Amino acid sequence: MIADYLAELADALSFDRRLARRVRREVEDHLREAVAEYAAEEQADAERRAIASFGDPRALARQFAAVSLARRTRHASIAVVLAVIAVLVAMKVRIAWYAAAKWTVSEDVREFAAMVLTIDRYAFWLSVIVALSAVFYIGCLRVPAVLQPHYCRRSRHIVFLCAAAALSLVVSVISDGVLTGLQFTGESREGGVVPLVSMAAEIVCVAAVILLIAGAVRQMGHTGALART
Amino acid sequence: MEGEMLKGHLDMIVLAALAAGPTHGYAVIAEIRRKSGRAFDLPEGTVYPALHRLEQAGLLSSRWVTAKSGRRRRVYALTRQGERALAARRAVWRQFSDAIGGLLEGVRPSRRPA
Repeated sequence: MIADYLAELADALSFDRRLARRVRREVEDHLREAVAEYAAEEQADAERRAIASFGDPRALARQFAAVSLARRTRHASIAVVLAVIAVLVAMKVRIAWYAAAKWTVSEDVREFAAMVLTIDRYAFWLSVIVALSAVFYIGCLRVPAVLQPHYCRRSRHIVFLCAAAALSLVVSVISDGVLTGLQFTGESREGGVVPLVSMAAEIVCVAAVILLIAGAVRQMGHTGALART
Repeated sequence: MEGEMLKGHLDMIVLAALAAGPTHGYAVIAEIRRKSGRAFDLPEGTVYPALHRLEQAGLLSSRWVTAKSGRRRRVYALTRQGERALAARRAVWRQFSDAIGGLLEGVRPSRRPA
């Protein structure tokens, strides 16, 4: 009976597998402890009583959904901020390396490079502002005891801010890629490992952020459905 | 006691139950029941999302331990931030309680209202 209950609870928490695993182990310990306390009763009666006292798995899933959603949105916003910092460091390293190696873009593409650089700067600073807004917003948001539609709506705003910051960062990284490519159009361009590695680091950071945001969006879908039930 | 009224104070109740020291979810519920004279009758499962939420907020920490029975169990403890939060909530609650007592029983509050 306890195994069936735990399976039902894990199924209700399937929107967050890590949470489902942890909750399942915690609840199993709780139910076994409760059954041991009702030792005077028949095993089946003791299990039935322990389960009844614990509550409806769907109702519990709604309460855990708020916790899980808060964790995902917080992770997404922190990841965006960390990615912005990583991209900034990669850009600074690359610029310092260009100066040390005396690399400059060739004369015929300088005007185009200046235009791309402007886009890069605006996109980067936009991502900084939007990412910090998401972190500030999440700091003002209190996780409710039970998942409520207004909390889902506010979480959607945070995910939207994270997505907007990530999009700006993508534009910035693409611009960085174009600028790096232009650097390679000059003469005697051997040993350009630093620009390539720093570009790869930027791409990996942005890809990781996009994956985290996609996870948060998926979670929004599940929890939105739970909030409506 | 009304379930909805209780839910509004669940975080404070859970923090207070952990004030005596680190313990697992089942013992937290037993402590709440014991200290409240069985006045609080929530579904037991409700305490677990609260424990997770408080941990996420940095008010609790938790770790797996092996019980005498051999089962793995999660033990929760108040963090420094949790202790401060509990102290702050206690102070607010006392002010609130005094103020309500003054209104309902005609007793003059012992402190200035919040």
